[in-house]
Amino acid sequence: MTDQLTALQSIFSEFYYWVTVVMMFFIHIGFCMYEVGVSRHKHQQATLMKNTLVIPLVTITWFFFGWWIYWAFPTGPGIAPSIITGETGLRIDDGLFNANAYLANSPFMAINMTDRISGVFWAAFLLFSWTAASIVSGALIERITTFAFGILAIAIGSVFWSIDAAWGWHFDGWMLKVLGYHDAYASGVIHAIAGGFALGVLIVLGARIGKFSSSGEPRTIGPKNPWLVTIGIFLIYTGFWGFYAACNVPIWNVGTEYLGAETTVTYWTATNIYYTPTTLSGVTYNFLMSLSGGLLAGYIISKGDAFWTYSLGLAGVICASAGNDLYHPIQALIVGMIGGVIPYKLHYWVENTFKIDDAVGAVAVHGYAGFIGVVAAGFILNGFPSSGYSVGALFDTSGTYASINPLGNFLGAIIMFVVLGLIPGYVLAKILNAFGKLRIPREVEIAGIDYQIMEDDKEAEKTFTSSIATR
Amino acid sequence: MATVTNWIDLISASEAVGEVYPGASGMVGNMSNETLLVVIGVVLWIGWHLITSISESEKLSKIARKRPGPNDHKSNVTNW
Repeated sequence: MTDQLTALQSIFSEFYYWVTVVMMFFIHIGFCMYEVGVSRHKHQQATLMKNTLVIPLVTITWFFFGWWIYWAFPTGPGIAPSIITGETGLRIDDGLFNANAYLANSPFMAINMTDRISGVFWAAFLLFSWTAASIVSGALIERITTFAFGILAIAIGSVFWSIDAAWGWHFDGWMLKVLGYHDAYASGVIHAIAGGFALGVLIVLGARIGKFSSSGEPRTIGPKNPWLVTIGIFLIYTGFWGFYAACNVPIWNVGTEYLGAETTVTYWTATNIYYTPTTLSGVTYNFLMSLSGGLLAGYIISKGDAFWTYSLGLAGVICASAGNDLYHPIQALIVGMIGGVIPYKLHYWVENTFKIDDAVGAVAVHGYAGFIGVVAAGFILNGFPSSGYSVGALFDTSGTYASINPLGNFLGAIIMFVVLGLIPGYVLAKILNAFGKLRIPREVEIAGIDYQIMEDDKEAEKTFTSSIATR
Repeated sequence: MATVTNWIDLISASEAVGEVYPGASGMVGNMSNETLLVVIGVVLWIGWHLITSISESEKLSKIARKRPGPNDHKSNVTNW
């Protein structure tokens, strides 16, 4: 960088993503507090530790292969040609944005004076990965082993969400071209897939002991610490600001991008993840309106239940996220309200009908709301461009982009929730279960996973007390 | 190391361009520093899972053998 403006643009982008990473860390803190607040006292330390381990496990695997998958798989492979190479194979060629640049031993996966973006962009996506794994974590509390959860966290955080992001959240993704898939702030690519994955695991894992009576009636094992739950979910709301910002490209010359390097047209703007122009300002309207829609509807539908009202506020945001780059704020509000109602009803219907014990409502708030949000965007945004490249098309010499449409987004939602979420979650849980590694022993679940820690602490206290008494 | 070679290549001093510090060369034969470090990282990662699987099974079995009741933990709640 030898001129000031280039340096300013580059270092601004670097700092922008760095800030989003810090903000998204609040999501993880929020998930930890929320899950501990829901779990019973005798399981709380294990619950916290399980979610803490998401950080190292997903981080190192995202470094080893998760980030590479994102760049390698946008063509399917074999489904739609890349707009850069015209080929349908894995993007391991020498062209722009090829995956080999992000192999773990690549010079770009380290401090590199010629590259000020890969690390922070990698980290922003990594924080999405943590979120995906944390969504699954909450549903499984109080009965899954740490080992099994670690394997599942890596699977959803560094493999399956990475594949779905390559397919439907990459400017060169085949789902944009073939289906017109649009999911700007990740209703499907993070939330629906993680919710579907959690449901697949829950089917095999089974309910907590005592959740259902002998006649099959569900019992409420409610939040044990309302303050932790409240602060936790408010921190998740806070982190979502960073999440939304990280889904944008902060400053980009779409004139050159669409019309070629020779053009005299320059137009600097923020874009969404598909390089379609948008503004962070406009998206801010929609974020807050959809949150409000979810909270208002959640309050009514749950009859003022605090746990569900807060959760359904989040469901409102998640439901509107697919189209929040293009919605009018009132549309965002209405979609947010839908996201506050249907997932709640579905949660109890699934619980009663199939005896699924989703401890924190994660499948509902993330899975069902995300699925519905993607489908809704297909109807509301019917005919809008799915990618900036379908408008100007600098690279679009071989692949063409379908417009956003209801069928495409519906099929996209199925791919996210079922194909890349529910089925892999179910299969992996079956394998872990076959090896006896999925669920903790019955005796431990009844006593509490923290039983030994608490007993050791009690013994230490006794020693302390007796040492005081003998003085 | 890419960091060092990049940095050297980027600064304009003619005597430094293209120079590589002794510590920036490959550690083992033709294998780059980066590749070797990644191999070490993967070993640590797999090893962690193996150790965790074994130690967690032992810990859970130990509690299971004691067969504590559902409310026994309450007598272990401490005040300090």
